[in-house]
Amino acid sequence: MDVTLEQVVVVRGGRCVLDVSALSFLSGTTTAVFGPNGAGKTTLLRVVAGLERPARGRVLIGNAEPARDRGPPRSALAFQEQVFVGGSVRRNMELALELRAVPRADRAGRIAEAAAECGIGTLLDRPARQLSSGEAQRANLARALALRAPVTLLDEPLSGIDRIARTQLLDELPRLLATFATTTLLVTHDREEAFRLADQLVVLVDGVVLAAGPKSLVYRSPGNREVAELLGYTVLAHRGGLVAVPPSGLHLGRGTPGFVLTAERVVDMGNHLHLIGRIGQARVNLRLAPCDTPPPPGAVLDVHAPGCVTLP
Amino acid sequence: MSDLAQGFAEALRLLGRGDPELWSIVLRTLAISGAATLLAMVAGVPLGYALARGRFHGKTFLLALVNTGMGMPPVVVGLVVWLLLTRSGPFGGLDLIYTRRAMVLAQFLIATPLVIGFTAASVQALPPQLPDLLTSLGANRLRTLWILSREAKLGLLAAVMAGFGAIVSEVGASMTVGGNLRGSTRVLTTAIVTETSRGNLPVALALGLVLLLLAFLVNLVLTALQQRRAG
Repeated sequence: MDVTLEQVVVVRGGRCVLDVSALSFLSGTTTAVFGPNGAGKTTLLRVVAGLERPARGRVLIGNAEPARDRGPPRSALAFQEQVFVGGSVRRNMELALELRAVPRADRAGRIAEAAAECGIGTLLDRPARQLSSGEAQRANLARALALRAPVTLLDEPLSGIDRIARTQLLDELPRLLATFATTTLLVTHDREEAFRLADQLVVLVDGVVLAAGPKSLVYRSPGNREVAELLGYTVLAHRGGLVAVPPSGLHLGRGTPGFVLTAERVVDMGNHLHLIGRIGQARVNLRLAPCDTPPPPGAVLDVHAPGCVTLP
Repeated sequence: MSDLAQGFAEALRLLGRGDPELWSIVLRTLAISGAATLLAMVAGVPLGYALARGRFHGKTFLLALVNTGMGMPPVVVGLVVWLLLTRSGPFGGLDLIYTRRAMVLAQFLIATPLVIGFTAASVQALPPQLPDLLTSLGANRLRTLWILSREAKLGLLAAVMAGFGAIVSEVGASMTVGGNLRGSTRVLTTAIVTETSRGNLPVALALGLVLLLLAFLVNLVLTALQQRRAG
């Protein structure tokens, strides 16, 4: 089911926190809404979920407006903070299905399937509020996915969990979304998550969409400095203009386009060395090849960035 | 010490022989304080919820007002209700003064701030996103309130206990608006005052013990309910 935002403005405390002229999330796609903290990402998710009514404009899921529709919600939202009612994981999932008017006879099967797929099949009878952060995040996901809603909304689905649990979930999420979800919107401030999980990307800053489209297209054509920096590019001045250098895009030696780097220090990362320095006002870092000699602080070096993008 | 022992013996004797006046006072006490507690829950739980969840100007002021109300002297409440209901008062025409309904009203006013305060505190202790979760899952307002009440049941049962405990043991308001009329508005606390003023200390003590026993039994039931649900 498509999700469409038309001229949506959300005002909070007299301040405009979301201003989206037109945005569509097509059925069957997974879109990462990506941006820094306070960009309005969660607000966007909340208006799609119908938890917040925009001051202007409208949001459509299919042909229904979530905040006005009296029928059962068409979206399933997994909150960033794992929120549970008292009782077991099963009770929480049961309540969710009950509120969605899923027939009692179907609930047990739906719960068992979602729990097993999310790796919490053995935790169903544990008190939900006593789970570890990683388990709680899985239970949070399982509850949302068990609803099999036309639109699945995930708010920072990998936040607040330890590194190992995050890595595992990052690997498993695409399969889970393919199994249970159709249209997915996920909110993240983490570039890796956005690229690993989504096929579409929306870059949101200060409540305004700065870029939207297939992730490879958005990445290859960042459009402006702000988007480029958010996507991990280092923006450098070059011949009166700006170029965006992708991560690991700087190399020692002469080439085109070429820059002069002043070395500051070399950091031993365990399996390789990182050179930190400055090109003009910009701080850059560069991975040294095993054959490179670590330069002393203050050394002036020629570097080049063959894969950089020229910004308009 | 002998007075205490005598009072205890008298209490057992009164209860044992099924003294009809004592039982009518006990039942009247239960009916008046029970009705006031019930009404305080009906009004106080939604108000406490709104106060806990609402975002509006003056919320802190209202919370402070409720917290002050939790310690309001019953006799002051009784005086205000008396001034309102007395023949020459603004609601004198209702002919409520010195009736059980006037006592229920006064006790309701004493218990409600306690119920609001306990409800607000227990709702504020719930995860802040719980109402949004329930709304996103499709619960309407009434269903959301019901589920949140279940989640806050420990606090709500504490509200019942605090409210009932405060009004079953108060004497000032009941005496002022009820008038302590024998067979009509006399409750355990006002009966204790009467017996004490008559110098009938063993009976006064016996009534006191009955009052304590009554409060204990009600709280025992509520605590058992609270702990069973908590478990």
